[in-house]
Order: sequence, then C-alpha cells, then structure tokens
Amino acid sequence: MGKIPEEFLKSLSSRMEEGEKVLFYASADRDDSGFCDICLAFTGKSLWMAVGPKVDKKVFRGFVNRLHLPEIPESHDYEKYTYSVVSNSEVERLEVINLVSGGQLTRVSGGQSFAMCSFTNAKAKDVGTFVMLFNRMKENGELTEEDLADSGKNEFCPKCGMLYPDPNHPVCPRCLKKGAVMMRVLKMAAPYKWMMIAVYALTIGAALLSLLIPTVEGEILYDETLTPGGKFYGQIVFIVLLIVLCRFLLLAMNVASNMVNVSFSAKLVYRLKTTVFKAMQRLSLSFFMNKQTGTLMTRINSDASGVHYFLVDGLTYIVTNVVIVIGATVIMLIKDWQLMLLCYIPILVIVFYLKKKFKVLGKFNWRRFLRRSTLNSAISDSVRGTRVIKAFGREKNEVERFGKINSNFRDIETAFNKQISTIFPINALVINAGGIIIWAFGGAQILGGVIQFGTLMTFINYINMIYGPMASLSDFVNWWANCMTSAQRIFEIVDAPTDVVEPETPKDKDVMQGNISLKNVSFGYDINKYVLRHITLDIKAGSMVGIVGHSGAGKSTLVNLISRFYDVNEGSIEIDGINVKDYSFEYLRKNIGIVSQDVYVFMGSVAENIAYAKPGCSREEILNAAKIANAHDFIEKLPDGYDTVIGPGGHDLSGGEKQRLSIARAVLHNPRILILDEATASLDTETERMIQEGLEALIDGRTTIAIAHRLSTLRNADYIVVVDNGEIVEQGKHMELLQSKGEYFRQVQKQTEALKVAGV
Amino acid sequence: MTEEEKQKIKEEESHLPESTAVRMLTPENSRFEETEGGMLNVTVDGYVFERVQVHASFPHSSPRRYISIRTKSNKEVGLIDSLDNFSREQSELLIRQMKIRYFSPNITKIINVKDESGYIHMAVQTDCGECRFTVRGGGGNVINPTENRYIITDVDGNRFIIPDVTKLSPKEYRMIDIYL
Repeated sequence: MGKIPEEFLKSLSSRMEEGEKVLFYASADRDDSGFCDICLAFTGKSLWMAVGPKVDKKVFRGFVNRLHLPEIPESHDYEKYTYSVVSNSEVERLEVINLVSGGQLTRVSGGQSFAMCSFTNAKAKDVGTFVMLFNRMKENGELTEEDLADSGKNEFCPKCGMLYPDPNHPVCPRCLKKGAVMMRVLKMAAPYKWMMIAVYALTIGAALLSLLIPTVEGEILYDETLTPGGKFYGQIVFIVLLIVLCRFLLLAMNVASNMVNVSFSAKLVYRLKTTVFKAMQRLSLSFFMNKQTGTLMTRINSDASGVHYFLVDGLTYIVTNVVIVIGATVIMLIKDWQLMLLCYIPILVIVFYLKKKFKVLGKFNWRRFLRRSTLNSAISDSVRGTRVIKAFGREKNEVERFGKINSNFRDIETAFNKQISTIFPINALVINAGGIIIWAFGGAQILGGVIQFGTLMTFINYINMIYGPMASLSDFVNWWANCMTSAQRIFEIVDAPTDVVEPETPKDKDVMQGNISLKNVSFGYDINKYVLRHITLDIKAGSMVGIVGHSGAGKSTLVNLISRFYDVNEGSIEIDGINVKDYSFEYLRKNIGIVSQDVYVFMGSVAENIAYAKPGCSREEILNAAKIANAHDFIEKLPDGYDTVIGPGGHDLSGGEKQRLSIARAVLHNPRILILDEATASLDTETERMIQEGLEALIDGRTTIAIAHRLSTLRNADYIVVVDNGEIVEQGKHMELLQSKGEYFRQVQKQTEALKVAGV
Repeated sequence: MTEEEKQKIKEEESHLPESTAVRMLTPENSRFEETEGGMLNVTVDGYVFERVQVHASFPHSSPRRYISIRTKSNKEVGLIDSLDNFSREQSELLIRQMKIRYFSPNITKIINVKDESGYIHMAVQTDCGECRFTVRGGGGNVINPTENRYIITDVDGNRFIIPDVTKLSPKEYRMIDIYL
C-alpha cells in the first residue's frame, strides 16, 4: 500500500467531511495522452481522485542519475490538483483493464464502467493493491490488519538508489567493491587453492629469476667480466655457466608451473560448469520460460571458458608481469633514475590510450556475446525444427535467415578485431619511439663517460622486459573484459532469484492423504495480467477431477500452481489443510506426480529412464511398472530389451512409447496426487486406448487431476471443472453438466459433431 | 462477477460469430459510441456490445488496418479491415481507445545513456516529455518488431518506442547502437 504524502492529506482533509479518514491510498501516473501525478484515496465513505497538471519530465522507477543531468525537482502543489469524489455507495467495484504496458483503472457503477485514470507499470502494484483492498472491503465490509500490512520488499539500494538485481538478496552490484567480482571468481578456485598457490609461487619465482638475467648478461658480462679491471675479469667460463644455470632454472620453473596448471585448469573448468548447471537446476520454472536454449548453452560453455582462460592464463600472465615491471623499475631506479624516467614516457602514453580503448572493447565484447548467442540459438532452433522446415520446404529461407544472423555476428567480430588490431601497432610504435630515445640518451651518457656499455645493455634488456608486457597489454585487456563479462553472467545465474522459496521449517506429514483445496486463487505471470482469477475448488482425496477448457484457458497453470512450480498471487492452495508453501519441495515432489505430453527422455537405457522417478529401485519394480503402464510388451520387442539405449543418439521411440515410459515412471514414483496434463493429447486413438488402460491402473486409489482436450478420456472422472478465461465457469458431474446444457455440453456437442464429420 | 453480469456475457456470446469465422465490421453493419464513462460500445446488426476493446492486429507494421474489436472477455466481435473505411468521427473514437491501449512514449531524442552494473540508465526526449528510465541489461529488452523500429522495455515493463532509428543523429545513434 502506498504511503500517503503529508501535503496531499492536508489538501484532501480540507475537502473531506469532518471525521472522514483515509483508509488506503495509491498513486497513478498518467492520463490518456501523457504523464501526470494522480492520487487515489478511499475513506470508507468516498472514493477520492486528485489529478495534477501534465508532467513534462518523468523519472521512472529504478533510474539512478549518473548521467550528469540536472535533477528534476519534485514539487507538488496539491491545491492545483483537480479533485473529484464518488460516494462509496455509488461504486459497485473497481476494475483494472490491462493495457499493453500498464493499465486503466475503472469503477463500475450501476452496471456501467467509468474510466478513472491510467497508470504505467511502475504503479501497477500500487493501484492493484488499491483495487484489491477496495473490492475486499466491498465484499467483507471491513479490512483486516493482514490486508493492510505492507508486504513490499525493499527493492532498491538505500545507498545509491539502484534496483537490486535479486529482490530476495539485497546486494547492490554498484555498491559492491570493484574487486569483489574478482574475489568471487578467485573463490571459485578455492577448492584447488594448493594447486593455485603452487602455480603462482612458481610463476613469481620464475619472474624474480628472470629479473636477475639482464644484470648477469649485461653489466656483469660486459663491464665486470670482459672489461679490464672488472670484478670477474677473465672468468668467462664461470659467468657463462652462471648464465646457463639461471636459464635452466627458469626453464625448470616454467615447466613445473605449466604441469600443475594443466591439472588445475581442468578441475577449475569442471567446477565452473557444474556450478552454473547446478544453479540452473535450482531456479524456478519461470527462469527457463524466458530464455532461449542457445543462450543458456553459451552460458554454460563459453562463460566457464572465459573465466577459466583468465584465471589460468591471464592471471599468471599478470602476476609475472607485475613482478617484472615492479622489479625492473626498482633496479633501474637504483642504477640510473634519469634513464628510468625516460623509459616511462611511452608507458604513460600507452596507459592513457589503453584506458580509453578498454571501455570501447568491453562494449564490443558484450555485443559479440549477444550475437554469438543469437547465432547459437538460430542453429539449435533450426536443428530442432528440421522436420517442420522440411515439411514446409523452407530450407532456403532458413539458410537466408541464418545468413543474416551470421553476417551480423561477422560484422561485430570484424569490428571487435579491428579495435584489437589498432591497439597492437599503436603500442608498438610508441614502444619503438621509446627505445630510440633511450639509445640516444644512453649513448650520449656512454660517450660522456657517465655509464658503461654494459649498463646501457642491462637497461635495454630491462626496458624490453617492461615494454614486452605493455605491448601485449591489449591481450590482457581482452582477457579481463572477457572474464569480467563471463563472471558477471555466471553470477547472474548463480544469484538469480528463485521465485518459489522453500519454507525454513516445513510442515511435512508422514503420509499425504491428497485432499486439495484452492481458496480464491488468482495468478498471473505478469503483474496485473491474471491468467487465473478467483479459483475456488475442493478435490477430495482419492477422487478424479477432470479439467476442461479451451487452449489458454489456464488449465495447465492451475496444475502448475498445485505442484508449486509457481506461487499464487492471491488466495491459497492447501493440501490436507496445510498451505503448499509450508511443505518442503521434497515432500511435494515425492507426493505429486505429473504425466504430461512432453516426455523427457534422456540418453540412457530404458530401465534407467523408467527408474528416473525412483533411483536405486529393483529390476522387479521396473518390470512391474512397465507392465502396469502397458509398456512391457513394446520394450520386450526392442533389440536390447530394458537395456536398449534411448534418447539423443540412441534408439528412437514413438510418441506413444515415450508416453508409456512416462506412465511407468509415474507408477514407480507412486505419488498420492497424480496430474495428467493432456497426457494423451498428441496420440492416435489406438495408442490412446492402450495408454488409457495404463492410466486407469495408475489412477486407481490416487487423487487425480486430469486435463484433457478429448472429453471422452474424462468419462471416469468423479467431477468435472470447466475453466474459461481464467475462471471456473461450470463444475459438476458429467451427467449433471450435460443436463445443464452449459459450456461443457457445448464442448461435448462440438467434439461429437467433429467426430461425426471425421467418420469416427 | 454478479449473476446478472454472467447472464449478460452469455447473451453477448450468443451474438458473436462462430469462433472460426471472421466477421468484418463495416460502417454499414456497425456503429461505435463512447459511453459517459469513456468506454466504447459497438452496435453490430442491432445488438450492442458494451465496453469493447480495440486491438490492432499489426500494431507496428500496420496500425490502421485489421483492427480487432473484442468483448470484455476477449472474444472477437469483428474485424475492421481499415480505419479509413470509417467516417472521421468513428475512426477517431477507435484511435482514442487504441492510444490508451498502446500508450508508449515515442523517443525523439537520446539525451544520455549510461551502462552500469547490468543496468542501462537512459535519458530521452519523447513526445510525452523527457523520460528517464532504466533497462535491465543482458538482451531481450530491446527488440525491433519492424525494420528500424525499436521497442525498449524498462525494469518495470514500461515500453518506449524509437519509431525510426535512422532519424536519430549520428551522435545519438552511437549512444545506443550497442544495445540495438
């Protein structure tokens, strides 16, 4: 419920009658043609609406002003609002008409609808609650404290105002420290920390050792060994052996580091992929409904690889080079600070240049990901739809469609690589210029007798060691950009909210009876767009209820709610007198079985596929289940019987055969509540008859909810519920419904006529 | 819903065409009227359908053609081939209802865009004034139903439309091209 602004309350009070008090309030934000502020208030006696002047600047929910734009002042002179009032007795109820985005609030008076105002989706919840409270008050005459309780969660970060990505976990990605994502990535490698420590210890050791080499091969060799008067003058064999030893040690350390790294990286990739896959299994059904298969596949494969490359190759590269750059700088600073400062002129130029490029590359990289996902989706969609494509002879169109998506990907790939390819030569140019400056300056110092040749050679070697990583900093930028984008996406899945949350202290019973009770249930996948409205239904334990209705009437949604794949928006669903929200998932899944027309067959033997419902069950149980499901005979015909490998790449089963497997699964599952969601809809009559026998054996003694298009399959139902447009329009026994000649009668009549036409 | 209203719906449904048949609404067989409450009624062959809704079958590619007139319970009363077949007064009534249903500000200028932590903050000039809103990153919230036309959906599901992306200045285009 919205919080009423003080100023509005003052202004309204002067208009209200004495003793009148605002019970609840909401705000809306638009009229027919644009935005304006609208206040709605109900006093118990009257319904008030105050409409403000047109607003020419509108800030929507979630907007955080980081665009350096002047703030839009919020000034409300409620005295300038236009107030209108309707007596409570004149209003029968309030209604919301759903618009393409947002809605329109209407009041029903004398059987007629009157438009009051419109609102954007930002206000949908607020107005929806107002309507719900008003109508509840009309029905019950009063409101309970529970009705008026503010159930709204804090959706925004109080520090920066940003919308939390996950309303259940108030963590703001912006206020999270910058290094936090990186720390989280590193935490993923925590189980292999000893391997990681070994890799980095060897890497750092090798870097430190490599810092010694330029001094040995430069100053010590030229100035101390080959120049008369040097510390090691003439001991050439000793120095050469020292150089060989250093090089050999360096090689050994690098080989050891690579060996450990190979094992570490394989384990890390495994863990990353498992983490993402596991996180996906945890998520509610609604998450998968909005995603394409290709996008999810890219996430598991590419994102895991992106993070892996960075941790394994990128990070060791950075560690090595950070040690080298710092070490070489310190050594050069000690040797000749002026020469060292000269070295850093090109570095500053590169850093400045790369900082600019970094931003652009990140954007291109994200776009690359999106287009690659689209490409993957196009391939997977086309492969899955091959039959349809061939049936319609649309192969050429598919090639054209793919060509367009492919060329989009090519364009972004080209643009991205162009960016990369400009970075490298520009870096090289700056570095070369830097080298020339040092040769010139150092050469002058040698001629002036300030330094010796060996010192200059040492410097040149150190400079190359510093410039080397700088030249390939673009690779680092690329790795970093890839890793951060991938990590962000992995965490997006890992952190994605589960819409359906398990109770902390479940009230599971020993045995489920199977009494189901739906009390005034309303549900919508989107705010205010209800798919089911005010459904009240009682299903007795052990009975069979048929649900009938047109496509899109809300039948499947109804059973999805009973199985708790989604949570209801209003009302409650109880099983054996306890709200389904109070049961553990395990208890619900154990006791509710679903046989639907989409059968999930995974790659494995027939026996494994049946045993999916009860892992570890005996062979006798599998055989028995297959018998009951009328599947045993066709399985026996298969070349390897119950050991026949089915699923992708294996033996192909027909729709009816798969369906019987799923019934066998359900038999093995042995649930108290069985849901048959158009289990036989896609099958021919003969196959349906065979499956029907299996189903009848399965239904016996369980609470069964059967959704069916073919009304003949519901002839054994104890009770039939007709759903239309999200509401129950009729319910009763088969004969009663036929006699009342309502919707059910019409549907039966239509099907009978259709069968006559078909000559069945 | 009261019994009276349910009865009314049943009666209304008996005047609807068969679900598989298309009834074309023409100025000759139908007349639209706005009610006192700002709703739309239509009289078809002498029967009044109350509080009908106006849906465009092709709201982006052909908004003035194939207009579906639907009952409160979303059943089709009939289809209008083209708004141009109706008188100005009649078509204006329909357009008014369509404007309510399809209300989405049209973006005329991109003021500024910032991408931050998975969200894209946008400030734009629209035909309804300046709007500042936030779009969830990650794709799916910017779609183009027809060539050059884009629909941007914010975190709450509000829609903003770029009617023709080619009309944006090069600078504006650069600000958003990455998201298109």
